Amino acid sequence: MSKKLISLADCCMAFNGELVLDHINLYINDSEFLTLLGPSGCGKTTTLRIIGGFLTPTSGEVLFDGVRINDIPPNLRQVNTVFQRYALFPHLNVFENVAFGLRIPKTEMEGGRKKKVKIPEEEIRQRVLEMLEVVSLKGFENRRITELSGGQQQRVAIARALVNRPKVLLLDEPLGALDLRLRKDMQSELKRIQQQLGITFIYVTHDQEEALAMSDTIVVMDQGRIQQIGTPEDIYNEPKNAFVADFIGESNILDGVMHEDYVVEFFNRKFRCLDKGFAPMEPVDVVIRPEDVDIVPTDKGQLNGTVTSVTFKGVHYDTIVDFKGFKWLIQTTDYHPEGETIGIILNPDDIHIMRKSEYSGMFGDYSSYSEEYDELEDVSLLEEGEDGDEE
Amino acid sequence: MKKANRGGSRLLIGLMFLFLYLPIILLIIFSFNAGDSSAVWRGFSLHWYNQLFQNRLIMESLYMTLLVSLLATVISTAAGTFAAIGLYSLSRRKRDALLVVNDIPMMNADIVTGVSLCLFFVAFFQGWGSFARWFNGIQSAVELPTRLTLGFGTLLLAHIAFNIPYVILNVAPRLRQMDKNLVDAAQDLGCTWMQAFWRVILPEIKPGIVSGALIAFTMSVDDFVISYFTAGSSTSTLAMTIYGMTKRRITPEINAVSTLLFLTVLLLLVIVNVREARMEHREASREPRKPSLIERLAARTSGPGWRWVKWGAGAVMACFFVAAVMFLRGATSSRPVVNVCSWGEYIDTDLITQFEEETGIRVNYQTVESNETLYSLLKSGGADYDVVVPSDYMIARLIEEDMLEELDYGNIPNFSLIDERFRHLSYDPENRYTVPYTWGTLGIIYNTNMVEEEITSWSALYDDRYAGNVLLINNSRDALGAALLYLGCSVNTTDETEIREAFALIEDANRRGVFQGKVMDEVFQKMEGGNAAIATYYAGDYLSMVGNQADGVDLAFVIPEEGSNWFVDAMCVLKGAPHKLEAETWINFIASTEANLANMDYIGYASPNRVALEEYPAYYEALYEEELDQETYEIMAAPADVLERCEVYENLPQETQQLYSQLWVELGIG
Repeated sequence: MSKKLISLADCCMAFNGELVLDHINLYINDSEFLTLLGPSGCGKTTTLRIIGGFLTPTSGEVLFDGVRINDIPPNLRQVNTVFQRYALFPHLNVFENVAFGLRIPKTEMEGGRKKKVKIPEEEIRQRVLEMLEVVSLKGFENRRITELSGGQQQRVAIARALVNRPKVLLLDEPLGALDLRLRKDMQSELKRIQQQLGITFIYVTHDQEEALAMSDTIVVMDQGRIQQIGTPEDIYNEPKNAFVADFIGESNILDGVMHEDYVVEFFNRKFRCLDKGFAPMEPVDVVIRPEDVDIVPTDKGQLNGTVTSVTFKGVHYDTIVDFKGFKWLIQTTDYHPEGETIGIILNPDDIHIMRKSEYSGMFGDYSSYSEEYDELEDVSLLEEGEDGDEE
Repeated sequence: MKKANRGGSRLLIGLMFLFLYLPIILLIIFSFNAGDSSAVWRGFSLHWYNQLFQNRLIMESLYMTLLVSLLATVISTAAGTFAAIGLYSLSRRKRDALLVVNDIPMMNADIVTGVSLCLFFVAFFQGWGSFARWFNGIQSAVELPTRLTLGFGTLLLAHIAFNIPYVILNVAPRLRQMDKNLVDAAQDLGCTWMQAFWRVILPEIKPGIVSGALIAFTMSVDDFVISYFTAGSSTSTLAMTIYGMTKRRITPEINAVSTLLFLTVLLLLVIVNVREARMEHREASREPRKPSLIERLAARTSGPGWRWVKWGAGAVMACFFVAAVMFLRGATSSRPVVNVCSWGEYIDTDLITQFEEETGIRVNYQTVESNETLYSLLKSGGADYDVVVPSDYMIARLIEEDMLEELDYGNIPNFSLIDERFRHLSYDPENRYTVPYTWGTLGIIYNTNMVEEEITSWSALYDDRYAGNVLLINNSRDALGAALLYLGCSVNTTDETEIREAFALIEDANRRGVFQGKVMDEVFQKMEGGNAAIATYYAGDYLSMVGNQADGVDLAFVIPEEGSNWFVDAMCVLKGAPHKLEAETWINFIASTEANLANMDYIGYASPNRVALEEYPAYYEALYEEELDQETYEIMAAPADVLERCEVYENLPQETQQLYSQLWVELGIG
């Protein structure tokens, strides 16, 4: 987990003069599971396509094992891709789909002369069957693509990419078209395959849960820029700005002022926290995760508010509480009916302080609560730039 | 009420389909007619199909049609497919704009496409000519041809041009349906773009390519108008040959060839539609939002078992191509050749074969449908003939405009066999340009069972007693000529008063409802079937009508006492003809007694060859084992005293010609 396999150095990408990637710097280690996470149009698919060789960055360098590969076409890169809607070849059966890459004659230099090299049929057969076994599709060789379920098609796509023994597998929202249960199964399946084969996965998704569950490293992107790089825990517990805090999990984000190290003021009250290193009286964004808030009777609360709505979520209730006009989301296992006045207590480790950023004030108020990101499930194709006009 | 409505609409639909298909059904039925009438059924026979396959002109143009269609289909399919793929790599706005541009040629009137292509080619040839002369002038290593003409090449280019939009139209939807990531996926898996094209794009869009190719082929086989303008004089497609045959009458041979053409196109369209229906069915049955559908057919035929079938089909195609190309080489090899342009059904085609065998000169025999068309073809410079066979008045015009070459009668010894009566005629007084081909007379054909007395005068045409039963010939020269003769004037008069007087006669009769209509080819059906009593037409055609007359019809022919027109069609060589010697050899051959006998028998028009004219009754008797009756013979070849009453048309001055056409337009008969 130490060798840098792929580096993007200062990469920019513009479509028709519109900047889609803004100075991306990123490296990916060997055998790492790295996720590019962000909402539609954030540039994550564009980044993936640059690595895959389908796009050439407008400026900046792409390095593979330290060698510049900007101008190497996709067919000559040691990288394979699992496409968004799999892009399986409908005119071929499962076996032939997986064997596709193996059947392409490779040109190799031998003693200064070009030579076409073909893989022997027996080897192809062996490798395909082996790979179908890895993705649990043994016995499906002669099926037609249209006879497969979404999950099975997904596995064929993975097998088709992996059979070429790439150093890196790129996955572009591979689970986007699957239903929830299947998606969960495939998540662990993918993780298992990655560990079994020990190759690098670069995974693109807009689903933060998926990212948290599978990744070694998460790269959060928005508006063509990297917002934060870190382990899932870092990203969740120490979001760098309001965007990351809001995008990863649910967050109440409040305006605050840092009085001194470990002391923050909001709602005209001082709270103890675990953060330091801010200038005295620096305005900051305060993040409070909904599950961290403790509800107490009003006389014991540091803050008191009125419940304005309650939604049952199975494990917990999503409770919206109005504190002096600012609405918080609190996740609690106790039921508090609408209209009830409750108190809350915040412990120092419930509070996370972030510097102000361009995203300050844009997120974190639940006045118009809706399951906003659920609506974005259907992957918008904005990111694909001008290719995306087809659907 | 509702039920009645449904019945009504069904009836309407039934009538509509009847209206659409009845003519074709009739045509198909009459293609099996044993007789040669289009009105009277004489029993079932495959005679006309047999005849068809022995008709060299039709078979040659059939080969030409297939060759052009196949080549054009292959080339336009390849070009159109790549064009469509190119379109799909453009941004949406540009692509949509280009697709609209692509649609325009399909909606454009064929005649506009044809004329514009013709103009384009002619303009290009002129430019090329100047360039080639300049190029040949500055160097001597390479000799470029300076004179290019319309022909196979331009015909093929035109077909390719009008086929490409149809291919694009068929391939484009398949590309739109195709998951764009497929190409990325193929490249990702190691393909270059070309490999991705062969391994992924092609199998995906194959159904579109196949239907595009089928439609292109159908369009090519079907096309008349565009071919007509771009094929030039030395090449002709089936549709053009059929059109050329209509100058004289629609023979059942045309019915047969039209039937075959119709069935071929129908078969192709059925294949295309069945394919489309199958595809739609497959489309509908696939699950929503799944990537793409499998191509059952492609998948089913991609197995090893099918491989030899495909190779076999490929081999057959290749053989056909080789054969076709060899045929074409034969047609254009350095063998001496003569380009002849005549009317449809105007030669016993055995004579062509016989001539080729005797002399080794290849005959490129083309047909046009009228003197006027021939004239405009010659004028446009698109034609490339050596020998033409215009009628008297047109010969006069061609001579006047210096478009004919003087003949070397030393090469045409058979000219001495031409009867004195047919030499030195008004159109060529010194007889320097022409050798007569046939001659005949115009007269009145009438059904003796529908008139009260024997007809002897043109007056019958304007007689109230036959109101509604007279057919006016739809040709201003003949119709006005008859009226002029009735008034005692010359058919060649240029006196405007006389012509207007003649016209007034016709107009008056028309107002009184004497005429049933203006007809040309329909005269056969009308007279044979007894649907009209009196018509003006040519003696030779009267004979074929008599042979086909229905029961209860008894036709007679008369050259009225006032006199009539008699006409001569003669062979001439065009100015600057590239094969003058071969042309004269051909003319000499046709002027021979044997050739004249064969033609006289085949066409039914009289021979100008003195010996042939005398020997014809004996020839007829030997051939059919029955005596030719004298009356028929005299109708075919009018005796000298009758001919004396008749006049040959002269080329009228410009203003008189204009008067004729102006008056003819004024006469509004349906």
